[in-house]
Amino acid sequence: MIFEPHIHMFSRITDDYEAMAKHGIRACLEPAFWLGQSRTNVGSFIDYFDTIVGWERYRASQFGIHHFCTMGLNPREANDDRLNDDVMEILPRYCEKDSVLGVGEIGLDDQTPKEEKYMLAQIELAIRHDLPILIHTPHRDKKKGFERCIDICKDSGIAMERVLLDHGNEETIKITKELGCWSGFSIYPNTKMTPERMVVIVEEYGLERMIVNSAADWGISDPLQVPKTVAAMKQKGFTQEQCDELTWENPINFFAQSGRLDRTVLEEPAKFDRRETFTGNSILRGQDPDSF
Amino acid sequence: MVIPSDILTQALQPAAREWLDSLDASQDIAVLLPQLPRRTGRDPFGGTRHTSDDHDVDFAPWRSCDVAAAHLFEKLNPTGEQLRDLFAHGDFEERAMVMRTRAVFPADDTTCHLILEAQRTNTQDHMEALILDSDLVARAVDAGLPIDDFNRLILKTAFVDLPFGRMFGSERHASAELSTMVQDLATEREAAGRKVWYDTNRVIGLAPAPGTIARLLGGLEHGDDNHRLAAVEGIVSTGDTELRKYLEARLPREPKPSIRDAIESALQATT
Repeated sequence: MIFEPHIHMFSRITDDYEAMAKHGIRACLEPAFWLGQSRTNVGSFIDYFDTIVGWERYRASQFGIHHFCTMGLNPREANDDRLNDDVMEILPRYCEKDSVLGVGEIGLDDQTPKEEKYMLAQIELAIRHDLPILIHTPHRDKKKGFERCIDICKDSGIAMERVLLDHGNEETIKITKELGCWSGFSIYPNTKMTPERMVVIVEEYGLERMIVNSAADWGISDPLQVPKTVAAMKQKGFTQEQCDELTWENPINFFAQSGRLDRTVLEEPAKFDRRETFTGNSILRGQDPDSF
Repeated sequence: MVIPSDILTQALQPAAREWLDSLDASQDIAVLLPQLPRRTGRDPFGGTRHTSDDHDVDFAPWRSCDVAAAHLFEKLNPTGEQLRDLFAHGDFEERAMVMRTRAVFPADDTTCHLILEAQRTNTQDHMEALILDSDLVARAVDAGLPIDDFNRLILKTAFVDLPFGRMFGSERHASAELSTMVQDLATEREAAGRKVWYDTNRVIGLAPAPGTIARLLGGLEHGDDNHRLAAVEGIVSTGDTELRKYLEARLPREPKPSIRDAIESALQATT
């Protein structure tokens, strides 16, 4: 079984859920992020947050997949004064929702002072709500951005074992491996990491506190990159137990620090009844619930 | 009605109760509400039905977190606007708590709003939490819920197949107009070969409309036990002693013992 710890299902279609379930993905986590274009007011965030604790959770469950999320103001929109303070005001209530297992994606993108300000404020929010944090690291000037994210975490006083530094690569693992934090790697079809490069990393650095994800979103991305990484690991001689440690035990152990992740619940697929609706809506589009 | 003290004791562990008692109005109820299932439990606690002069509530489906939520609402006294916000932006559990706890508070504008929301959003768990196992809907009509909205709610109840008998006291708001709506839905379902709401005959017997008596008498011969039993009850509800002869005619041919018992009781009641 696989726990996909970073995927933006809000922007994916039901075929993806179906394929994910077929390839052993039992649970997924959706970090709050941006939408591809800028939001212009806090109401857009409220509706999005409601969706990822509501409709998206229901949608995932219709394929037997448990859906969780992290809440946060993403670094890109932290720069937008039309909404950054307003989003900070609404976050506390969303940090207490049952399916919220952390604060994220927070972090740095363009590495501006405003991004740093809101990153720090959200680490403090996570500490107040006793949640771990998922950090988006910059895709440009990555090494410097990683180092700055680490400095901000250290200054905040958050325990490093409650920090997941995501979007890492061969260069950043050298920095993060000994910090006591968790190192995340996003496996993309053409950019960031590939399954084969990821295998080389785990061969060299081991599996401890390592997490892989697809980070699939509205762009060219692939929600099956974690199962593909498992296949690549097996080709290189990793055992099923080792694959499970990387793609099941590790993400569960990290997010279980929220105190809201019941491992026994994950042992069974999410329960669903395709006749039931969510706020009057279903995924059936008029189809017979017993026909597929 | 406030939450009875024996219910509080039965539903909440001492630590949960202590935490609840430590809360005050300076805290944001929107931050507190989602914590309740985790902090107080999300399983039914074995509650029973409580009836008083102004409320009739069956606590059987209530979970510990529902009792905690009712206690929290009693303590922090949120405004109607806050309650609407808690429902609108609550997760699945929060919405269920907001809905279920309305039963122990007076019916007001917010109750009416939530009834319409339950009907519009059509999430079965939330509809059940709000409208079943108490007399809340009946009290809402008394408090000003328009009868048209009540009729549409019952029609939706029929549509999603919820039991009318668990909407305590709602029979007093039955009307011929409602009977016509429920009968029409049944006819439509029959034409389509779809399942008909088992409570159809019970509801229409309360306030007969044109066609009701024929449907009830047909119900006595229905092949489905549930429809036959409801037809017997519907006939009793009409109070029409002229229908007694049809019950007498059915009795010797009725194969189901429980329905025979119902017919015999009905005949005794109309003697």
